[in-house]
Amino acid sequence: MRRRQWLHWGCACCAAVTGLAKAQSPWVPPPRFTRPDVASEEGGLWALMDREETRVRRSPFCMHETALNQYLSEIACKLGGDHCPDVRVYAVRTPYFNASMAPNGMMQVWSGLLLRMENEAQLAAIMAHEIGHYLQRHSLEQLRDVKARSAFATAMIAFGIYGLAGQLVALGGAYAFSRDQERDADRISIELMRKTGYDAREAAKVWADLLAELRANPAVDPTHESVLFATHPPSDERRDELQRLSVHDDGQTSEAAYKAQLAPLRFGLLEDEIKRGRFDESVVLLDRLLAREPEHGDLLYFRGEARRRRNGAGDAALAMADYEAAVRSGQAPAVTHRSMAAVYRSMGQGEQARAAWQLYLQAAPDAPDAALIRQYLEEAQ
Amino acid sequence: MNRRRIAFVGAAVVALWLAGCAQVSKVATGEVTVQERLSVTLDRPWNQFEGAQGDGVPTWTQEGITVDTLKFYVGLKNGGLLAPTPTEPKGQAPLEFKSTMRTGEIVALFERLYSREGSTFTLDRVGPDTFADTPGFSFEFSSIRKGDDVRLRGVGWGAVHNGELFAITYTAPRLAFFPNGVASAESIARSARIRK
Repeated sequence: MRRRQWLHWGCACCAAVTGLAKAQSPWVPPPRFTRPDVASEEGGLWALMDREETRVRRSPFCMHETALNQYLSEIACKLGGDHCPDVRVYAVRTPYFNASMAPNGMMQVWSGLLLRMENEAQLAAIMAHEIGHYLQRHSLEQLRDVKARSAFATAMIAFGIYGLAGQLVALGGAYAFSRDQERDADRISIELMRKTGYDAREAAKVWADLLAELRANPAVDPTHESVLFATHPPSDERRDELQRLSVHDDGQTSEAAYKAQLAPLRFGLLEDEIKRGRFDESVVLLDRLLAREPEHGDLLYFRGEARRRRNGAGDAALAMADYEAAVRSGQAPAVTHRSMAAVYRSMGQGEQARAAWQLYLQAAPDAPDAALIRQYLEEAQ
Repeated sequence: MNRRRIAFVGAAVVALWLAGCAQVSKVATGEVTVQERLSVTLDRPWNQFEGAQGDGVPTWTQEGITVDTLKFYVGLKNGGLLAPTPTEPKGQAPLEFKSTMRTGEIVALFERLYSREGSTFTLDRVGPDTFADTPGFSFEFSSIRKGDDVRLRGVGWGAVHNGELFAITYTAPRLAFFPNGVASAESIARSARIRK
């Protein structure tokens, strides 16, 4: 789901949406779709998405962890109901918050999103929103909307209407769904969550957490960083409305099940997170994750990394405190000692740096940088 | 589409434009001076993109800019950016070189450079080496490039001389292209001399 859609969705959980959902006649999911005639505009779109799905499936970024994929498929199946056989979920290794669903039933969930979810209900909220778009065939509406736009006439002639629209969908929606479509998908997602026993209040939490991350960086104005923030009502208002609307909901969050699925992957996802170079955002994210698991060695190490690499005022000391806490937890990764050595060295504490490098080499004698660390030790003699 | 993806598509368009329209000049065999500070000796001709890749980093290639690239980082001073681009997203820490950086920190800058837009970077080896008659480092890495899913291998050589960073990196698809080109790239790196 594009960030725009996602935040739309957060907005759409507000009174107008949920109120409508409750007040209007119950939404009835459509029957399973049959494959459209390839000669039709929808058939052309499906064919393009089929090709895109083949590319995604073969991509080295497609995560092939069997347990994770089965878990994601089970959630999609639960939410999709009768449409279960038509929905295929792919986890894609990309350290940003995103998910999307194509009209042929292909759903992509990015690893940066998986890292940020606290429980299964939050993940289900996003997947349900995407399934909402799918069930309402919003992509087809968008295709027709694109056709209607005279500004794209030239492009259509040059590339063919299906090619253009398909590219847009494949790229994640240069044409975002309309506000009405987002409201529609929101309404459906809330209904699907309730129907399947998930706590709908988690939807608002995901939205608020993402907003907190975006606001963490003083250089970033969310209204400029995100199309959604720029084109919709003030984000605070949406967050507050979401919280108000879902206050009476309850249900399962399935936090333990989600953590169990993510545990074997999380170290790698955190490595990718740090490589984004958005250290302010990473610190906010890790603060939130550590609030739930305050003594987790990996989380402490990575928050230390975000602080050390941000290198702002006081960050070195804060990073060292995290590294020390990680070591005390007994679960610190070996690289914690290497990072501690870097901080000691920057503080002019050569003796401690040498000791930390030695601990690193003891824990990881075959590390790719072992030769370099040995050189550091020789120079420090 | 979020702005990051728009930026990526824009960068791809720019790359294609560069590949199709940017001026390419031949770099002949023999001694060549890059940015007036780094002399290297070529054992075969290379192609130079006059506009680099939008980051001001001199870039040479044998097979094409989307295939193999030999990049030169010449005399980067304290506070200089490794590969500044006009589309650098706000909120992303700049790839800023500091004269006090040690090898591990410098290689971490390259790690972030090659991880841009979600590409992967795996450090395979880093160790002490000599570059341009200066005690320095060399490193090897693997990467999967986002956008076209190409699996790359890379190697780099560098040193900090009088507080300035000098480095050369070479990347190419791991099958065929990298094995075919790395020897020539290393020959160039081994021949590097810093001009006073």
